[in-house]
Amino acid sequence: MRGKCGLFHTSYASETRFFQSGFQKLSLGLFLVLLLCSPFFLSNYQVSMLNMINIAVIGAVALNLLTGCCGQISLGHGAFIGVGAYTTGLCTLAGWPFFAALLFGGLVTAVVGMLFGIPSLRLKGIYLAIATLAAQLILSYVFLHWTSVTGGAIGMGLDAPVILGMSLDNDAKMFYLTFGVAAASVLLVANILRTRHGRAFVAIRDFHQSAESVGVNLFAYKLQAFAVSSFLAGIAGGLWAHYTMYITPEQFDIMLSIQYLAMIIIGGLGSVLGSIFGAVFVTLLPEFLGVLAQWAGSFFPNISMYFLALREGIFGLILVLFLIFEPEGLAHRWRLIKAYWKLYPFAH
Amino acid sequence: MRRKLFTLAAALVLFAASPGLAQIKIGVLSDLSGPTSDVGRPYADGVRHCVEYLNKHGGIGGQRIEMLQVDYAYNVQQAIAAYNRFKGQGIVALQGWGTADTEALVRFVARDEIPTYSASYSAHLADPKVAPFNFFIAADYSTQARAALQYFHDNWTEDRPIRLGLLYPNHPYGLAPIPAIKAFAQELGYELVAEDNVGLGDMDATSQLLRMQRQRPDYVWVGGTISSTAVILKDAQKVGMQAKFITNIWGSDEQLLQLAGSAVNGHYGLQTSVVFGTDVPGMEVIKEMTGGRPQMTHYIRGFASMYVMAEAIRIAAEKGPLTGRAIRDASRALRDFDPMGLTPPISFFEDDHRPNMVVYIYQLFEDRMEMLAEQELERRPEWLGQ
Repeated sequence: MRGKCGLFHTSYASETRFFQSGFQKLSLGLFLVLLLCSPFFLSNYQVSMLNMINIAVIGAVALNLLTGCCGQISLGHGAFIGVGAYTTGLCTLAGWPFFAALLFGGLVTAVVGMLFGIPSLRLKGIYLAIATLAAQLILSYVFLHWTSVTGGAIGMGLDAPVILGMSLDNDAKMFYLTFGVAAASVLLVANILRTRHGRAFVAIRDFHQSAESVGVNLFAYKLQAFAVSSFLAGIAGGLWAHYTMYITPEQFDIMLSIQYLAMIIIGGLGSVLGSIFGAVFVTLLPEFLGVLAQWAGSFFPNISMYFLALREGIFGLILVLFLIFEPEGLAHRWRLIKAYWKLYPFAH
Repeated sequence: MRRKLFTLAAALVLFAASPGLAQIKIGVLSDLSGPTSDVGRPYADGVRHCVEYLNKHGGIGGQRIEMLQVDYAYNVQQAIAAYNRFKGQGIVALQGWGTADTEALVRFVARDEIPTYSASYSAHLADPKVAPFNFFIAADYSTQARAALQYFHDNWTEDRPIRLGLLYPNHPYGLAPIPAIKAFAQELGYELVAEDNVGLGDMDATSQLLRMQRQRPDYVWVGGTISSTAVILKDAQKVGMQAKFITNIWGSDEQLLQLAGSAVNGHYGLQTSVVFGTDVPGMEVIKEMTGGRPQMTHYIRGFASMYVMAEAIRIAAEKGPLTGRAIRDASRALRDFDPMGLTPPISFFEDDHRPNMVVYIYQLFEDRMEMLAEQELERRPEWLGQ
């Protein structure tokens, strides 16, 4: 690369590299170091937000692989996260080591996801959305009524994860776990997208008949997408269960599925980076609006209640505005910003 | 961009600033905009007015109560985030709200030793083995239903078993008391004749009621919220049902009277506090705080919940440094504490967080709620947490 102006690629391998320049590597490295040090200088509340972001990143990356890359819409990811949460919880309650339980939770969720992914061979678009909605409703019913296993309406109390004899009983310790798993998940999905499988997913999304005519086995690849996506959703669920330490069916309802869909739409469909942006945005927005509402309330104390209540409406409005003005998501905006600075000060 | 940055910076500065030293900080989780906001707002008003009242009369042991309120819109994630923010701001106790957030925070508050008074009256939260730092000031859902069964059993005059029907949503909140109802109904010799689901958001219950009517129940348990209960009562009037309906604590209040109109006449509502206008000392205070505007029962329970918590804080503060554990222990030392007559007397025990076993049974009319009886049950150990 040295001695040339701009980025040249002389092989496919160089084009598919994650980091095209040393500057990218350096800045990402610094960012990761900053994140790893963050529990030392951030408040407990801020670290807890990071934990929730990490868990949301795993779920969003998972859903984006299925919906954004493979084009298979899923309204059932909230329930898949629930399957992972309950399975992992049951395993740790039975005395399994945490990582074994987490992996097993992911595997069980993958099987469940594949099962509900079977209709995807025949169903597309809105029809598949309805089929996965059915998965959400059926699984919610199971969470609520299989009382002997899930605890039913009363829910399931869990302990903080114990790894190598160390209990991760505060947000800072939990951060390293959620961060590690989130980083691994992001790396996994980013790498899948560079393989034959990833290209097959994208081919199916773009046009299924073309994909089939160039030798992509539609059913096998769709099921694979469901499996990997549900596996990661299960992992997110297992982490969530042990982060909150108390799970009830209410936590894994349709609203959670919609929230994850909102994340990938806001972040950018089919983009790994977009999933991360979306997860950060959707997790932090209610907090930011809450702070804003309180701030506004301090000037107008009598109507602070209404300001607080307005928040949900603003949240909805922001979603709509995104769909209108930024349909390609935050990832697209990020690319534009990068392009701007790359050419700075000679903007075209 | 600059304006955005300014807003952000301003928000951060305000956020970081936590003024005041000689203050007792209490977190308040409220639902002001979510699915339960119709009852969450009056409850939150009650909590807030109680804090204002206490502060006006010298606070607790000379210290002002600072109330930190967050609207979490009945969203578990936001509740956890709000809780962590509260913790960072140094709260010593928490006023919670619904079942979803209270359950999600059970382990957090136990770990951080933050006593929590919530408005989720789920029976298992009264078991200190499950929820060592959770309290509430009303008989739990199961106890409420059992008290109603006991009352109608005691006042039954005919020479045949009472025929009981159950209508509840397929939802954790609706399902929670059902096993307790079935077991106790069987114990008292009720005949369970019909059982059906009416969802919390349903706008029609005619088909369920027509099916139920064929079984001719004498009493029907309705375990929903205001809107579903109003739908059920109106449809029951439409199909001409003779049965009397027993509506639970979140399903019968002053809103129901407005929504269902004449359809409520003669049915029953369970309460664990007095209604607005009752002649008790606390009502004078509430009238003073609200300027005499009528308030819903949820307001009164919110007020009472904060009042009982303040009493525990007062006792804890007198004994020594104010910690969460001290407030928990002081709560457990309360014996027949009377929150100015707003609720039946409250006692918590080390191994039993049921506040009392008393339920007020009200008869509903379109213009008023009339207290019929104060039904007290024995404090059976096997009912704890069930």
